[in-house]
Amino acid sequence: MRIIGPDELVFGVDNILDCQAFLADYGLTENGPGCFEALDRTAIVLRDKDDPSLPPPLATATRLRETVWGVEDQATLDAIAADLSRDRDVVVEPTGRLRTVDDAGFRIAFQITRRVKLDLPPERINSPGAAPGRAANEIGADEDAAARPRTLSHIVYFVPDMDRMANFYIDRLGFVITDKFTNTGPFLRPQANDDHHVLFMIQTPDYMQGLEHLAFHMQGPTELMLAGSRMVKKGYESFWGPGRHKFGSNWFWYFNSPMGAHVEFDADMDKHDGDWTMREVPMSKEAAQLFLFENVAKWAPGGPPPGKG
Amino acid sequence: MTPLCRLDDIPDGSAVGALPDARGRDAVVLVRRGDRVFAWVNNCPHYDRAPLGWRKDAFLNGDGTRILCAAHGALFRIEDGICEIGPCLGQGLTPVSVIISEGTVCLAG
Ligand code: FES
Ligand SMILES: [Fe+2]
Repeated sequence: MRIIGPDELVFGVDNILDCQAFLADYGLTENGPGCFEALDRTAIVLRDKDDPSLPPPLATATRLRETVWGVEDQATLDAIAADLSRDRDVVVEPTGRLRTVDDAGFRIAFQITRRVKLDLPPERINSPGAAPGRAANEIGADEDAAARPRTLSHIVYFVPDMDRMANFYIDRLGFVITDKFTNTGPFLRPQANDDHHVLFMIQTPDYMQGLEHLAFHMQGPTELMLAGSRMVKKGYESFWGPGRHKFGSNWFWYFNSPMGAHVEFDADMDKHDGDWTMREVPMSKEAAQLFLFENVAKWAPGGPPPGKG
Repeated sequence: MTPLCRLDDIPDGSAVGALPDARGRDAVVLVRRGDRVFAWVNNCPHYDRAPLGWRKDAFLNGDGTRILCAAHGALFRIEDGICEIGPCLGQGLTPVSVIISEGTVCLAG
C-alpha cells in the first residue's frame, strides 16, 4: 500500500483574502485559484465555505474539509478502492481521484501524488571534528534566502476515538506507529514515506473534532528561524516555538492562522524503517519538546552604558 | 485610568489589540460596535497560552460577527464572550472593564 503522505489539504473559509495573504507570507506559491503550493507542489487549497465542490463540513469549528493523500501508483489506488468500498461509499472521479470518509468522519481522498521530486541542497553546517559542510568563503547566514516550504510534512487531528481512528489508518491503509503519547495518540507513517510522522492525533471530546495543525518541512533549522522571524515581523501571531520536539526530533515553530488552525514550520525530522521499535511515554511538557524558545526584539552589543560614551 | 486607544482608532465593526506586553503581544482585544466597545482578555479559554488573533488587530471572523480563535477556529459572541462552537464550547472569554472618556477607551478603575 504505497501511500506517501498528505498531498493537499482543502479548506472552506469565510475569509479567503486573509487566508491567501497568510499562505503567501508563509512562503507558498499560488498556482491556480486558491491553490498554494510548496516547492514539491504539495498544497493548501482554499475555497469559500459555501463552494458546492466541497465535501460537507463537520459539525465542529474546523474549516478543514478534505485531506487528500498522495500515493505512488494506480495499483495502490485500486487496492484502496477495493478495500474501502466494502464498508463505505468510494467515489472515483474522472481524474482517478478517490473520495471517501475515514472512521472518524473526516473526508479523505486519494490520488496519484502531485509531488515532484526535489533535488535541493540541505542546510550545510561546520562541525569541529567533521569535514566542513561549507567550503571556505561560503557564507552560512543569508538574510535574503528565500526560505520556502519544501513539502507538506504532516497533519494533526483532534479525534473523539484515537484507537478507532488509528486502527483505520493501520489496518486499512497500512500505516505504522512510530511513537505514541499514552492517552493522547500515536504518530503514524505510511509505507511509502520514511518520515517519523505524517499523521498524529490527539484524543478529544467529539465537539472538538478537527484539525489541530498542519506542517511543512523547511530546509533546516536556520531556514525555519528565518521564515518564522519574517512572519513575526509581519505581525503574525506566534503560538509555540521555535523549539525542537523529542518524538520525531523536528524543529518546530507554530503560528495561528486565519484558517482557524495552527500552521507549523518544521525541519530535520527523524527517518525510520521497519527496524524501529515504537516508544511510548505519557504526554507532558517535558515530553512535548527538547527545548523551547520565544522570539524577542532584536538587540546589539555596544561599548559603554548609554550616556557614558 | 489607563488609556488604551482612541475610540476613533477602532473602525466601527472591527477590532484592535491593546495593552502590549514586553514582547509586543496585546493583552486586550477591543471590538467596536458604534459607540460601544467590548473588551476581552486576549486568551482563548481552550489553552492557557493561546492568543486569539492570527495577526496584529486581526481577531474577527470573515463577516465580523464573531471573535475567532485562530488556533482551532472557536467562535465567540462579541457581546458576552461566550464560545458558540469550538474546543471551549460554552466557556467564555474573560471580560475587561473599560470606559470611554472624552473619546479615549480606558481601563476602568
Ligand atoms: S486555543 Fe482557541 S480554540 Fe484552541
Ligand atoms: Fe507538528
